[in-house]
Amino acid sequence: MTALGDLFEGVVADVDAVLLFSPSTSAVEPFEDSDVPVVVVAPENTVEADLFVELPLEFTDITGRIRFGLEGAVNQELITEEETVVCATEAFGDGIDTVMRVRADQFTRTGVYDLFVNSRAEPAVVRDVFEVCIELGKKGQKGKQVGALFVVGDAGKVMNKSRPLSYNPFEKSHVHVGDPIVNVMLKEFSRLDGAFVISDSGKIVSAYRYLEPSAEGVDIPKGLGARHMAAGAITRDTNAVAIVLSESDGMVRAFKGGELVLELDPEEY
Amino acid sequence: MQFDWPEFIRRIFSRETAFTISVAILVIGLIVAYWTWRWVDSFLRTVGVDDAVEGTPFERTAQSIGTSTVSILAQLSGLFVYIAAIILALNIAQLLDTQLFWAQLTGYLPRLFVAAIAIILGLVAGDKAALVVSDSLRSIKLPEAELIPELVKYSIFYIAALLALSQIGVATNALLILLAAYAFGLVLLSGLAFKDLLAASAAGIYLLLVEPYSIGDKVEIDDKRGIVQEVDMFVTHIETDGEEYVIPNQIVMRSGVVRVRE
Repeated sequence: MTALGDLFEGVVADVDAVLLFSPSTSAVEPFEDSDVPVVVVAPENTVEADLFVELPLEFTDITGRIRFGLEGAVNQELITEEETVVCATEAFGDGIDTVMRVRADQFTRTGVYDLFVNSRAEPAVVRDVFEVCIELGKKGQKGKQVGALFVVGDAGKVMNKSRPLSYNPFEKSHVHVGDPIVNVMLKEFSRLDGAFVISDSGKIVSAYRYLEPSAEGVDIPKGLGARHMAAGAITRDTNAVAIVLSESDGMVRAFKGGELVLELDPEEY
Repeated sequence: MQFDWPEFIRRIFSRETAFTISVAILVIGLIVAYWTWRWVDSFLRTVGVDDAVEGTPFERTAQSIGTSTVSILAQLSGLFVYIAAIILALNIAQLLDTQLFWAQLTGYLPRLFVAAIAIILGLVAGDKAALVVSDSLRSIKLPEAELIPELVKYSIFYIAALLALSQIGVATNALLILLAAYAFGLVLLSGLAFKDLLAASAAGIYLLLVEPYSIGDKVEIDDKRGIVQEVDMFVTHIETDGEEYVIPNQIVMRSGVVRVRE
């Protein structure tokens, strides 16, 4: 067993911080007196850790989860980019089963943490829109694959940079994303052409919007369609974020500042 | 018109029989008291009182002396029944010859019982209320906010104590006046404190229902010109380049809105 022990020693030697992903209270307690800082990354701070990064989505793929945790920790200045950290997380269900050694700058920073936490819209709103997109991508609308485009935050400016394609079904209604019934409504309206506009606080301002940003200098991967281009461009022109469900490949993509920030496969959730 | 049971029994039976009956009443009273105790205990447990008071300081104190809120309440009920039986028996046997004593004690005993119940309920309810309030205030991480649950707790304790004292006949007028002053102060102060919020929400309801302007419109309110970003119950957010005005809704109503069309 010494070889195994050595291997493990090598992984955890000289680390500057420990990131625990969704740990149980019993997993955190032994760390209380340790001299390396322990950062808890979880959807909710149930263990009442001092250093805590909130996980807005249950990232199923490990790289996404760890990337988010690292970016969050760096962003909150819990760790610095030069530090080496050990991440303990769950890979195949049932608690922490994986230990990983990473340098905090090993990932190119995608801004996935920024997308949720430092957007104009509230993190919960961004998360709710993501959930609608994922659900819509998983099931489609009445079994048929659909596409959708949500522009979240900075609604006033977005409304000024777009025009209605038809009557706005959400006019004079005060509905917010996150309500289960509203999610059903959004799914129904996803058959309409155009974008959904959602305000900072989650109010659905409009559907059926034709976005008219200038597409100059928008750098998104080739092969994505007009919907993605519009999404990328509107986030460059305004402080909004855009979340797109692709009709062709069924992926959920998020744009901020004109760049693709996050790509998720709804089937994995 | 009150029917005098002891007098009636004494009249139809001899003195010895009356004594036997009083002993019998004592025994029956013991059984009924025991039965009451068990019944109240199981009833309170079925309706979930024991879960509801779980963790309150009163329950913890009760636990530490080896009992619980539920059993204290049940024992009190049993005791009440038993004391009633003893008094009845004593009166029938005429060991205590006092019409006066009877009259006073029967009047007094239920009050004492109610007072005890009021104290227990007050203690439990006060702690529960403090818990609920502090739970809802948990998102506000402010040391001053911890004062509010304590205030709620002691207000309830005060009212419970007042109820109990007035039940057992202590003069509570001064305390009552204090309570009235306290309630008045609370209403007055919260009225003052929430005046603007009330005005804003009243205006906000109008703005949300009628929507004279909506998100994306260019407006000028109170010399502040910009694009409407958000309208909620209390405030309207207006944004120009680099500046976001958060305008209370009552100001929107007072100053009026200019919709800018270009």
